[in-house]
Amino acid sequence: MNRLKSILGQLAAALTVLAAVLTPFLLMDRFAHGVAATGVQVDPVYTGPPPRFTLDRPGYRITVHEPLRKRWALDRISSYVQITWAPAAALPPEVSESLDLNGDGAPDVAVHFAIPRDLTAALRFDAQPLTGLTEPVRGASRDNFSRIIARLGDRIIVRIPLASGH
Amino acid sequence: MAEKSLPAPPRSVGRSILLTLPVLLWSLLMFSRAFQMPGRAQQLAAAVTLVFMVGLFFLMMRTRETYRWRRWFFASLGFLFPVGFLWQLYALRGSMSIPIEKMLSGDTPFCFLAIPMMLIPAALTRTVIFPGSILPTASNPHSIAVMVGLWFAATLILGKAWCAYGCFFGGIEEGFAAFPKKARIKDINPRWRWAPWAVLAAVVLLAGATFEPVYCTWLCPFKTVTEYAEVRSIESAIQAGIFLSLFFGLVVILPFLTKKRTQCAFLCPFGAFQSLFSKIHIFDIRIQRDKCLDCVACRRSCPTLALTDESVAQGKTLLECMRCGACVDACPKQAAVWHIKGTEAGAHPERARLLFLYGAWAFATMFGGSILANSLERIVGLVM
Repeated sequence: MNRLKSILGQLAAALTVLAAVLTPFLLMDRFAHGVAATGVQVDPVYTGPPPRFTLDRPGYRITVHEPLRKRWALDRISSYVQITWAPAAALPPEVSESLDLNGDGAPDVAVHFAIPRDLTAALRFDAQPLTGLTEPVRGASRDNFSRIIARLGDRIIVRIPLASGH
Repeated sequence: MAEKSLPAPPRSVGRSILLTLPVLLWSLLMFSRAFQMPGRAQQLAAAVTLVFMVGLFFLMMRTRETYRWRRWFFASLGFLFPVGFLWQLYALRGSMSIPIEKMLSGDTPFCFLAIPMMLIPAALTRTVIFPGSILPTASNPHSIAVMVGLWFAATLILGKAWCAYGCFFGGIEEGFAAFPKKARIKDINPRWRWAPWAVLAAVVLLAGATFEPVYCTWLCPFKTVTEYAEVRSIESAIQAGIFLSLFFGLVVILPFLTKKRTQCAFLCPFGAFQSLFSKIHIFDIRIQRDKCLDCVACRRSCPTLALTDESVAQGKTLLECMRCGACVDACPKQAAVWHIKGTEAGAHPERARLLFLYGAWAFATMFGGSILANSLERIVGLVM
């Protein structure tokens, strides 16, 4: 029994060395694909929730995303809805839109922001609630993940916090 | 008092070269792509790294010592990693701070320290609570799948030895611990070794509760030498203050005073997480009780408090042992030995050491070696 344990131990040790040798050529890729194949996604707090519907405007498109809700009481993120404007280059110098966020036909929020010519200048936005679905926002820039306007490549995203209870 | 035995005689040069040959061939294969690149700086950096890694392995074979030579590699890795990393950051964005836009567009490299905190949220929501991209992109080659895949490979090959052969963060404090000749603080209460386990439990549970990588947001000392969220509020200023305090306290000052890796021993939740794999890792260190003098040289030499009087009495190291070899090299009677589980302790310690080192050094060359070469390339590029 001791001899068998010893042989198995040495075999496992040799296999460990083999795994080390094969890692950069075979195993690394396989492990990485294995992780990707599990279907895990980056938290939508960072990537943004999936699109809900789009609105075509002359030269650009507005995408209203599914609301991202606080998953439970201790979740650090407040509920928000994300709206994306793209391409940013086609947007007018000032954007003012009244948007229906829940698809009931009535506009829920009036969003306003200006696009400075200087691409490095901070963006700011106002969001005036029209139905109580969202919280009022004035002059927000990059406050947190739930209240932000940001230029991401050729897109401008705006996240408006949802009013409590929504 | 028992007579102190002589250290093992050095191996012959010829035999040492023969044992180093597989590592030389492996390293040539690893760096072959760099040698074919047109940049002289890249070629030179790869050549220096290759000679360094192979040279250290040769010295390990010749002297039969592990810790001293591994430490050269590891401290170099610790000090050169931030050079290459920060250079890249400054080239990309001109700052160490991560703008929120980079997090939203998935352009932040994934850090392995977040892995334990990912587990509960991933199980509950199938999402990763760390910014980045799942698959590598042109702007972010260090994606989540690549880094988790790398961690998986490292755990398979090294287990807890990741902390001694892979973790560039550990290299920084090991470097500072190497500076003084003697420790100014010698007696450390062994109960401190439970602290990383407490931190691990706390950050895993808090990450599950808040869906936030709590350790990365609040406690990681290595933000000081890598990247951190922009300081835009009182909260982020407090976080930056904590990062700096922990870095200078646990990574610079205490290692200098104690000659221990105090961040690893007192704080690092990832190290505690890796310790969980010690039970299934095939290599370990044993203390042969029939040879042991109870001189506690092994316990004193251990950089991470992985030996206690009780564990020495039992002939074993604790789960926290990172297979750095310090105790083996420090033992005056060669009672501390490398060991393959299932075999008799002390039967073939040098065979166990060799097999372990071939795997560990292959990983170190692949992972740490490429980091060294990348950082050296930046420095050489400046000079040339």
